[in-house]
Amino acid sequence: MSGIEPGTVLMLLVWGTLAGLDLVSVPQAMLCRPLVAATVAGALLGDVDAGLRVGAVLELFALDVLPVGAVRYPDYGPASVGAAAIAAGAPWELSLGVAVGIGILLATVGGWSLLVLRRLNAIAVQRHTAALRSGESRVIRRLHYAALARDALRSAALTALALGSAGVAVRWLHPTRETAVALTIAAIGAGAASALGGALRGAGAGSRRRWLAVGGAVGTAVGVTVWGLR
Amino acid sequence: MNGRMHALLRLLSVQGSWNYERMQGIGMGYAAEPLLDDLRLADPLRHTEAVVRSAEFFNANPYLAGLALGAAARAEYDAVPGEQVARLRTALAGPLGALGDGLFWAGILPATAGLALAAVALGARWWAVLGFLVVFNAFRLITSWWALRTGLEAGMRVGGAISASVVPRAATRTGATAAFAVGLAAPVVSAWLLHPFGARGVSSALLIAAAGLVLARWSGARFTAPRFGLLALGATLLLRLVMA
Repeated sequence: MSGIEPGTVLMLLVWGTLAGLDLVSVPQAMLCRPLVAATVAGALLGDVDAGLRVGAVLELFALDVLPVGAVRYPDYGPASVGAAAIAAGAPWELSLGVAVGIGILLATVGGWSLLVLRRLNAIAVQRHTAALRSGESRVIRRLHYAALARDALRSAALTALALGSAGVAVRWLHPTRETAVALTIAAIGAGAASALGGALRGAGAGSRRRWLAVGGAVGTAVGVTVWGLR
Repeated sequence: MNGRMHALLRLLSVQGSWNYERMQGIGMGYAAEPLLDDLRLADPLRHTEAVVRSAEFFNANPYLAGLALGAAARAEYDAVPGEQVARLRTALAGPLGALGDGLFWAGILPATAGLALAAVALGARWWAVLGFLVVFNAFRLITSWWALRTGLEAGMRVGGAISASVVPRAATRTGATAAFAVGLAAPVVSAWLLHPFGARGVSSALLIAAAGLVLARWSGARFTAPRFGLLALGATLLLRLVMA
């Protein structure tokens, strides 16, 4: 991270901002998913594999949450960009756990920032209640664009925080080899539990639970066959 | 009525001004503007009233919001009494939220993401990521276009149009696919990443995963994934410090 060109940092900042905007505001095209955000960040950093691995584990965590209605959910987009920046160029067995841990922390901060954004949007709407009651299209447009700009600012700040945290982690966080491996294994186990726990909650007691079990059995068989034989 | 394509494009940002006052209301008003433009010349007073109604409180799944948007716009052109248009929007919000969340957030999203994760692990790498984006967004754009068109054609009869469509049945079917895909992805991704660490690594990860599942079962939705992730990593770090 510390040796990254300023141009690359700028591209990461732009990408993280787009990923942050995508979560709720526009275009909700799933650019914010960790698998996408981290992979693209990895590609920008010249290490797609690091992005894919970090993105895959964070995606397991993200599958636990359904982004429905007014609930507060973590913002994994900018966080995944920061996590990929930690893992890029380092041996993944040693960097994955730290990257995922910091990614989760940043995603949680991102979730809180959404609450602040929604309150600020509400204040802006309250200030223009009279104009909205008189049917001024111009005011609706202005409120909408201002809210989008606010979210862009929030996403950019969150990405800057993520990249700054990545810089600090790469510079200062050097756990022993055993600890780094243990963190990586813990992150993978916790990610798998999160995805399956979320799916179990959503499956209820009907046929979905049966399909979850079938998927789990097929996945275990595939895992043992493909990697158990190597 | 013109402006369908503009309205569809504006629907991409329907949650852009989400707030605790009117939720998606401002975003819906923004998306309705091109649809209501023709009314401005035909009936300026009705246009003003329609603009006010279009930005009132509303909340639904963003990908199905076009149904309410189109139906309300059609009703404004059909000179349906204003209170009925407002009631239609209110009546649609809950069902469109439940239907869309079931179809997309609990169905298509975990299904496509789960399959993409498994494909990444099995060697498709970034092609799987690209495939995920293309497939998800194809579903999403087709649904959004269908929703807007159906709403505009059906007007006040939009409830019947939704019931007669494949959307309610699709929501049930995609849920089963999602469960299978997530069930498949978790062990495949874990095996892909854990195999360099040998049996000891796999058993440690299994232990953590089992603890997570017990906690998830015991605490319900309160014990979220980030909390468990941070707890697992913190406990591992503490254990390593103690052992050192």
